[in-house]
Amino acid sequence: MKKRTLRRGLTAIWWLILIFLYLPLAVVVLFSFNSANSAASFTGVSLRWYKRLMGNEEILSALSNSLILAIVSSAVALVIGCLIGYGMYRHRHRKLGWLIVLIYLPIVLPDIVFGISEMAFFVQIHRMTGLLQPGLGTMIIAHVTFQIPFVALIVYSRFVGLDPTLFEAAKDLYASPAQRAFHFMLPTIKPALISAFFLSFTLSVDDFVISFFTAGPDSATLPIYIWGAIKKGVSPEINAIATLMIGAVTIAAILSLLFSHRRQP
Amino acid sequence: MAYSGVRPTTRSRAMVSETRHLLFTVAPGAVWIVIFLVLPSAYLMSVAFMSTGIYGLPELPLSLESFRRLAGFGFLGWSPGNIYTLLRSLWQTLVSTALVMVVAYPIAYYITTCRERWRPIMLLLVVVPSWTNQVIRTFGWMNLLAPGTPLANLAELVGFIPPNMGLYPSNFAVTLGLVYNFLPFMVLPLYAAFEKLDTAQVQAAQDLYASPVRAFWHAVFPQTLPGLLAGTVLVAIPAFGMYVIPELLGGGKGMMLGNLVANQFAGSANWPLGAAGAILMLIATFIGLFAMRRIGKRLGGGEEVVI
Repeated sequence: MKKRTLRRGLTAIWWLILIFLYLPLAVVVLFSFNSANSAASFTGVSLRWYKRLMGNEEILSALSNSLILAIVSSAVALVIGCLIGYGMYRHRHRKLGWLIVLIYLPIVLPDIVFGISEMAFFVQIHRMTGLLQPGLGTMIIAHVTFQIPFVALIVYSRFVGLDPTLFEAAKDLYASPAQRAFHFMLPTIKPALISAFFLSFTLSVDDFVISFFTAGPDSATLPIYIWGAIKKGVSPEINAIATLMIGAVTIAAILSLLFSHRRQP
Repeated sequence: MAYSGVRPTTRSRAMVSETRHLLFTVAPGAVWIVIFLVLPSAYLMSVAFMSTGIYGLPELPLSLESFRRLAGFGFLGWSPGNIYTLLRSLWQTLVSTALVMVVAYPIAYYITTCRERWRPIMLLLVVVPSWTNQVIRTFGWMNLLAPGTPLANLAELVGFIPPNMGLYPSNFAVTLGLVYNFLPFMVLPLYAAFEKLDTAQVQAAQDLYASPVRAFWHAVFPQTLPGLLAGTVLVAIPAFGMYVIPELLGGGKGMMLGNLVANQFAGSANWPLGAAGAILMLIATFIGLFAMRRIGKRLGGGEEVVI
């Protein structure tokens, strides 16, 4: 009897927590379809806020900035992170403590310290040399910096999961280093690479603080635009963009999950 | 013996080529992180020891003025504002971490008691909200806590807030936002701990006629400590440096250290003061990591405890 009441209690807590977790997002999605300009009462279904989005130049440019930033930074981080992940695996018997510290640094550093460090550094470099003007370029650099560790760790753990004799076999068959890389390693870790790319992409779209501090005047991304709109005073349009972003990130993340769970023979 | 002269050279040549291989694979990323993160943070730390020049930008000579300012000493004598902000950050971190623990513990346990094929989906349900942008999630809470919403009306009815006020901006809203934001970070490591739970120990405790409370305290709780600890690292460190949530839900009286630091690089520019605040945050982060590692080692969890 006691066990059953405990279990009922836990089930109740579980559903309450689910409501707690999804309520704020549900409200954003719901009010994006509100016909009235109000956050307190829902008067009827309409698509007027979505229609308004389409004509808004600023939002469209923020959208394209977000996409360029996420795609370019994820691609660069994929190449660099993949190399580190492989290096860590090949030389795992060596003392690589310094490398581990370096890789964990972007993960443990508080976002705000990360962001203002880069911003202060970029501003100074720009004043001294004229290079690194704050804008999409500096944002890409900053994003790559926090994406590298995740790619490296995913690729590394994929290699660790492989049978080490596979590497010997490839060598015994006189495969050249390039052949080994392109015919054996890359195809074998392809699922890991795809999931690393999606994760990087999600991290990039999800980031606000680091983007905010490394952005230039013309390189606002969607989260930065939303931030500005909130600061200026809440408008229902934000609900509409936010809803689109919730949808997009959820799809990307689910794709990443599907790929990381698919095991290759 | 004829090879004795050759062997070391071939071996060292192999070593050299191995090292070259290591450098070739690792160098691009390592150099990238050094140039674009280690150097910038070193520069920021040095800014804290400079004096404030025109537009709040750093200038030589070196000085400790920024730390005096951080402690509250200004042109008009001492004011407690910054100390309050610091204490508030510590308090919010403490309270939200404790609340997250209390909420995550039963949830993580509940998931492990459900059928195996449901578990990944349940974990996914807990994690999915954290995939959306932090600004959007916090905006969702602004919608929920604004004046005139059902939650605000209820709080007004109970007498929690005066009439016609919203539940935000307030310290309460910041705590709520922090708990919401960090819940998944605690559920995941706790779930991992519960999944590995050695039920033989619980059985043994019951065989020895331990009461349910004692059985939990001596047989279950110690086994979940590594998970709790990992969760605490994942929650407390980012919570202490939080910027978005106090900025949107806290207002002037809910400011945390992250806002103090950020403001020095924006509106009321004073780079050295901001950098001094950042150093404080870094020190707190590394003390936190170090302490957790020490406790983790004593518990026998070892390296895996930290992330």
